Amino acid sequence: MTELISRRALLGSLAATGTLLAGCSRLDDKTPFRQLLGAADGFTMHAQRLIVAKRALVRELPLAQLSATFPMNGTTLPKGDYYARLLETEFRGWKLRVHGLVDRPLALTLAQLQSLPARTQITMHNCDEGWSAVGQWTGVQLARLFALSGLKPGARYAVFHCLDKLDLDGNYYYESIDLQDALHPQTILAYGMNGRQLPVGYGAPLRLRVETQIGYKNAKYVDRVEVVDRLDAIGKGRGGWWEDFDNAVWYAGQ
Amino acid sequence: MQPQQDPVERQIDYRHPLPVRVWHWANAAVLAVLLMTGLLIFDIHPHLYWGDEGHEGVPAFLSLSGTHLDRDVPQTELQIGSHRWDVTGILGSVIDDGFGGKYLLAAAAPADWQFGATRGWHFAFAWMLGLSLPLYGLYLIGSGRLTKMLLPTRGDLELRSIASEFWQHLRLKRARGESARHYNLLQKASYLAVIFVLIPTLVLSGLTMSNAMTAAFPDLIALFGGRQSARSMHFIAAMLLVSFVLVHVFQVFVAGFFNMMRSMITGRFVVDREDSA
Repeated sequence: MTELISRRALLGSLAATGTLLAGCSRLDDKTPFRQLLGAADGFTMHAQRLIVAKRALVRELPLAQLSATFPMNGTTLPKGDYYARLLETEFRGWKLRVHGLVDRPLALTLAQLQSLPARTQITMHNCDEGWSAVGQWTGVQLARLFALSGLKPGARYAVFHCLDKLDLDGNYYYESIDLQDALHPQTILAYGMNGRQLPVGYGAPLRLRVETQIGYKNAKYVDRVEVVDRLDAIGKGRGGWWEDFDNAVWYAGQ
Repeated sequence: MQPQQDPVERQIDYRHPLPVRVWHWANAAVLAVLLMTGLLIFDIHPHLYWGDEGHEGVPAFLSLSGTHLDRDVPQTELQIGSHRWDVTGILGSVIDDGFGGKYLLAAAAPADWQFGATRGWHFAFAWMLGLSLPLYGLYLIGSGRLTKMLLPTRGDLELRSIASEFWQHLRLKRARGESARHYNLLQKASYLAVIFVLIPTLVLSGLTMSNAMTAAFPDLIALFGGRQSARSMHFIAAMLLVSFVLVHVFQVFVAGFFNMMRSMITGRFVVDREDSA
């Protein structure tokens, strides 16, 4: 397993906790424990799906509650010439692709996306680290794009392939959600934030807003959406970058 | 409590039925994992806020901040309310965030720490706590143990009894004879608070941190006065539970380690004679 974060300057009074937990994190890589965590995650998803109505909306907040500042997390500027060129041309030559198990693959420019009916929502972004900030997001519902593309039988997941390569291991960021979350009315590909064009630090040209799930599922710098029937052939097979490299739970509704 | 007229002979009570023992030890293990993983989750963002939003730049009522994060020992300051303490060398550990920035942790994390996995463990074990709590509540009510063992009697609530109870506790006096056969008022109050207040608060505030759950039950957010308040309550309730466990374990030693452990393992509890030393 790639060492995710280099550690330095280790000190602290809770070192005992740390030592015990070191045991746990080594256990994560052992198959039965990984299966246990996977099973618990699946159990959480099915339990929540039982009691949360399919289209239950996450709370939307008044404009007055907009956070004055919004933390910039993860990648804040994708590296490489390709993204630099996209930025230089203000994404004019760039197209969002929707492909995979769809009837009609799409390739849409930002202008085309913006000409589709938009949804604007003021919601709270909850990072798995523990912080929360309120942002206003404007974009096109994923359900609308899938209505345009059509979905083939067997389609189960939407995979978001991103433009930022993470330094940690050199792989591109990606995330995935299943169709129930993908077709949720508040699941949008946002090109606007707080009434302006989505800034680079927050994921321009497009970022996923999947309000029923937590921060890391809300992929920034989305380049293409691939519809698939299974996740095991993508990346390391666990449905997302953090899932692959940090053993994060795939269903992040909690 | 009035001294008994006839000293009670050494007797063995069957004090803890199996469901009590199972719940007790299963919870001890589950809470240990939840505490360790919970502290590590807190570690990455050692700030507590009140209200809905909370992030860097928003006033926190508890916060660890630091400067000179490039040093081996960063300069750190703990703020609680309007009080500030220099905690350099006591709290604070720096890790790279992997994106060119740094995180200030409250305490050093394991070298091969996977934050995502920590959350996975926390949620897996939270299920065990969350599912066993209502079952145990039903058992307590259904078996009559709640009224028999846990609810204070009229006698418990008499002023004289309360005063003597506090006095016994202050002197760390071990209960003997008839009074050892029942939980005393402070014991009852703390067990009731743990089962009916603290653990439910932990479960509910935990659920309030779930986006999907709050879509179904938006009142959860109102109940805690905001998303970040729920997170803070989760932490505060956890710390109160830790305090309970510390006192609980201490009392086990005061009351007689061997007898107490035997009663929670086999169910059998030896009642000492009133006049034994």
